[in-house]
Amino acid sequence: MSDFATVLPFPARALPVPAEALHLRSMRGEASDEELMLRYGRGDARAFELLYRRHRLPLYRFLLRQLGNAESAEELFQDLWMRVVNSRGRYQPRAKFTSWVYAIAHNRLMDFYRVNGRASFLSQEESESVLEDLPAVEIAADLRLDRKRAAKRLLAALGELPDAQREAFLLQQESEMSIEEIAAATGVGPETAKSRLRYAVAKLRASLGKES
Amino acid sequence: MSERRDEELSHIYRDAEGPRPAQRVDDNIVAASQRVAGNVRRPAAFAFSRRWGTPVALAATVLVTFTLALMVFERESGLDTLAPKAPRGGRTPKVSPAAPVRAEQPAKSPPVEARAEPSAKTPSPELRSAAPAPATPSPRAPAPLERAKPPTVETALSSERRATGQPARLPEVPRGVEILRKSEELKPAPAGASPGANVRAGAIAPQPPVPDAQRVFDAQQQIRPAQAPAAAPAPGANVVRESASTLQGAGVGAAIGSRFVVPEAKERTPEKWLEDIRKLKTEGKTIEAERELGEFKKRYPDYILPEDLR
Repeated sequence: MSDFATVLPFPARALPVPAEALHLRSMRGEASDEELMLRYGRGDARAFELLYRRHRLPLYRFLLRQLGNAESAEELFQDLWMRVVNSRGRYQPRAKFTSWVYAIAHNRLMDFYRVNGRASFLSQEESESVLEDLPAVEIAADLRLDRKRAAKRLLAALGELPDAQREAFLLQQESEMSIEEIAAATGVGPETAKSRLRYAVAKLRASLGKES
Repeated sequence: MSERRDEELSHIYRDAEGPRPAQRVDDNIVAASQRVAGNVRRPAAFAFSRRWGTPVALAATVLVTFTLALMVFERESGLDTLAPKAPRGGRTPKVSPAAPVRAEQPAKSPPVEARAEPSAKTPSPELRSAAPAPATPSPRAPAPLERAKPPTVETALSSERRATGQPARLPEVPRGVEILRKSEELKPAPAGASPGANVRAGAIAPQPPVPDAQRVFDAQQQIRPAQAPAAAPAPGANVVRESASTLQGAGVGAAIGSRFVVPEAKERTPEKWLEDIRKLKTEGKTIEAERELGEFKKRYPDYILPEDLR
């Protein structure tokens, strides 16, 4: 039984750790996430601090933008890291640490949605056919110049997205996950993950291209 | 399956203001991680004690155990190995003022002493069975003096036996003497008992303990016929008498007397003695009191004197 099985409600799909990422980190003389987690499992609290420093902001942003509420985001954020801390002895690097930790975050979000009656996340409203109909929108020229305003509008549009699509987009932006990794972390097939991502990107582009 | 990231969107997204978790959340998480890992940073003193605590404790335990074992061994060997060591001749008698006499005497009548020894050590089976343990210390005497005394008797007897070729039997002589002393207390000796021995003892050793020792052997003489009148023939009694006088002449009696027949003043408990000194002081006999106090200090050097007598 892998560590994913302890945090995921669906069968675990082992994802190989990308060799490029490991190579880059080793070239920079940095320990990989998986190595740090293993070191922490052996009692090295400093390794956890490094790991936390690496992932705290992306994870917090992911949760905050999914929930839209700083208080709930902090609560889930703390709970998420406590789970990481408590799983230190069982952790095995069969997949990327990022995939593992975002899978935990996904599960915590699902629990939160269930408790708070947000069932929209669970519906499968998007499909490939819908995606194919979406037109490719160019970002407005004035927004290209005013990046701050563009960012503000992007965040507003992000809040309008369905939870699943927003999650796919955030996972790609914050954790730099591939489609497969997003699929594994969210417990869906790669096709579904891909369609969610495409749909989210199309909608966001459309929101940025309306005003000119 | 790969999906190219929309770089333009990614740039805009990164330009957005990045929210941060509250500091207390960070602190909580890091503290929890350190607590769980058991890696909370501790002061240097704690690290030092953690590193050296076990070796130091082990060393201390070994040292204490070794010291205790050495003390026990020394105590046992100090008491028990004295008898085997004495016949070898390596030790000189510590407290035996009559040693020169003893050195001369055994040569004069070795057969008599050889016969006399069993009578001195075991008066009779009945008495032996009724006798108290020889090593039972007097509860009134302080420990250092008790420990200092046995060599006196032992050296006197062992040198005596060395001359006669007998093996040293240290514990048995005191036992017999103790029994004799007790029986003497129970049964007063007749006035004319062994006058010859008394005369001889007085001639050879005029020291104060000698009469006590003589009394001991006289009492032995009195007990022996009473216990076994038929078995002991008349010549045997003479032999015993002779051996007693020989031993007396050799200074054994003095040694025994100094060990077992202590003067009256020394039989007193320290408290009683001090009480007497106080009485002397209150009666105005200052010089006597001082002298008594001086003797007391000699006898009990470790005794802590009361305030009024210092």
